[in-house]
Amino acid sequence: MSENYWERVIGNAKQDLHLKDLKEAALNSFKDESDNYKQKLVYNLLETVRNNDQKEFFYILIKAINKPKGNFNELWKKLQNNYDIMPEETFVNFAYSIILGIMATYRGE
Amino acid sequence: MKSIQGEVSQYNENMQNQLAFTGNWFIDAGILGFVNLMEEVYGWDLNELQDRINTDSHKLFFWFFPIGYLFYHSTIRGIHGYIQNINKDLYKENGLNQKIRETEKEIKNLQDKIAKCNNEKEEKKLQNKLSKLEDKKLPELKEKKREALYKIEELNNKLVEERKKFRENTIKPIDYFNLGMAEIDKFLPNFSLRLPAIARNFYLFNSKEIRNSPFLAFIYLQSLCWENYEGLSEFIKEKIPKTEKAKEGLTYEIYPDSTINPFLYSPSQFPNMGYTKPLKTLEIEKSLKLSLPIFIPLLCFEHTFENYYEKGVIRNIFFYTNNLDLCYSINKKMQIRKEKAKSKHQSLLKITFNSIIDELVENKADFSLENMYLVEYEEIENQKLINVEYIGVPKLQASIFIDDVLREALNISIVHRKTKENHFELKWLPEEFIKGRPLYPLILSHAYLVLNKEIKPSYYSSLYSLIIEANILYFRAENEKPNSTIFSENYFNNYKGLVQGIKEDVRRTSYHASLIKEISKDKDKKARIARDLISALKAKDKNLFLNILLKNLNESKELASNDSFNRWLMEKIVRNDACFEIYGLILVMNLVRG
Repeated sequence: MSENYWERVIGNAKQDLHLKDLKEAALNSFKDESDNYKQKLVYNLLETVRNNDQKEFFYILIKAINKPKGNFNELWKKLQNNYDIMPEETFVNFAYSIILGIMATYRGE
Repeated sequence: MKSIQGEVSQYNENMQNQLAFTGNWFIDAGILGFVNLMEEVYGWDLNELQDRINTDSHKLFFWFFPIGYLFYHSTIRGIHGYIQNINKDLYKENGLNQKIRETEKEIKNLQDKIAKCNNEKEEKKLQNKLSKLEDKKLPELKEKKREALYKIEELNNKLVEERKKFRENTIKPIDYFNLGMAEIDKFLPNFSLRLPAIARNFYLFNSKEIRNSPFLAFIYLQSLCWENYEGLSEFIKEKIPKTEKAKEGLTYEIYPDSTINPFLYSPSQFPNMGYTKPLKTLEIEKSLKLSLPIFIPLLCFEHTFENYYEKGVIRNIFFYTNNLDLCYSINKKMQIRKEKAKSKHQSLLKITFNSIIDELVENKADFSLENMYLVEYEEIENQKLINVEYIGVPKLQASIFIDDVLREALNISIVHRKTKENHFELKWLPEEFIKGRPLYPLILSHAYLVLNKEIKPSYYSSLYSLIIEANILYFRAENEKPNSTIFSENYFNNYKGLVQGIKEDVRRTSYHASLIKEISKDKDKKARIARDLISALKAKDKNLFLNILLKNLNESKELASNDSFNRWLMEKIVRNDACFEIYGLILVMNLVRG
């Protein structure tokens, strides 16, 4: 299967989005948060994806990573590059990659 | 040196005479039909027939074939017809066998009633009834059955006898181009041609004059094989001058059409199709470099097909591959298996594919399956084909099917539909697979039935079917990319990489997907999740599927953070747009298994 999931051209520049990298970024960003907090966050994010509410999804996500002390730099970069209004199929894959990344950091507390 | 050259040229000449396939399935089917017919009439197998062609092809084509063909369509088919009628009386609904069974049942019921009866008067009445059945009706019916079976045996003996006589007579040296009426009558006593379904409008069968005259029939057929059109035309004008044929002249004898064989097209039915006239017999022979007269394959076509009754439908099936020896032995094996399987209610294709696999394994010929075609028709009505199907086995499917492990895993019939209480419909997976039909919908219905506790799961075969299908879909998606070539490296390598990939995927997926069982300890909860997921799969809604799955997974932190399971989900479901539902279904199957 192709590694380049999403490709878009802005001017002359071509941008690629690797879903795997996106998941990795989410995983690295949330590993220090508490399980209960992440569980609630995942639940809220899932609700927004279900309704295909992109605005709400990014609102919740950005609010969650808007912390100067956390390790969110990598995820911020990814979002900065890719944040856009996407077709539904792309958004679903984008969003679930982030959610799976967060879930992978549960410590079973 | 000279003598060696002589031997070589003799050998080459013999090779030219050899019966061989032409590469045109239609003519090849006729050639195989010819071999079958000669075997049925004279008992010669392919090797012996080849020997006879080498030594005296002339006699074979212009004597043994025409006289044998007429013998088959009058005597052999006549006796077969009688046997069939008796069998029909025995086995039909309300037939003798059923009556015997019913009477025996009635007797048993009466015996039970008598045993329970307390009233003497009533018991006497029942006893009377019972003795009538036991002493009169049942013995009468059994006697009738015995007579019928005896008659069948007698007819079979007669067939053997007639065939023996015919073989002894025809094998003697004879000047077969100058035979008189009385001589031919001797070879074909009690001559009466029976109409075959395939060529009922053919002059040989539909004219009163010729149908009952062995002499006229033989000369007509011999001239056709000889392609002596002038002679044939004169013969018709002279011997049967007042008939329509004499007025009409020769038509399909020169330009063969659907009158002779319904698989040929008829210019009168498609007036706008032919810009030129259809091909002449001579032209066909020349272009295909046929080693035998064209009318032999045309007329023997029906002897190629093996007929078979399945669920009240007659299916006529023929397996074609472009090599005569292989084709002959596969079709022969099929015939033997069919006889053996009569009592076991096996699916026809199960029998046929098993015969093919046997043959291929024996010959270690992987190339053959991909060169194999299945031709099937249900019936011929008024020279028109009903429900005809031509199925080729695609190279990709063949390469997968030829692998022992994958074939064994696929080789089952799977329950996929409930028709009524305790009645289920089955589909044989290899048939669906080879015909290129998707397996996913079948397994989805199967999983649904398992979920409703109607049946037990066939997990192993379902897993293999789904992963094979997923890998084919991946493979196709890759090939549809703009830079891909039509014939990839994989194509020439018989898709060995793909087969390897499937096995690897089965190993990985069976482990990772089985982890889903840890989502909960409660069986009912797992069933509920499975039900929700299956509805999402039915709606083909990836978003809904993932939402349900992850919401439930969110409650089981240990499983959610299981690195290998998490990665597998990411790879097979989230990143997979070609066939996420297939892996989704594998998860559901694991949940259902508990």
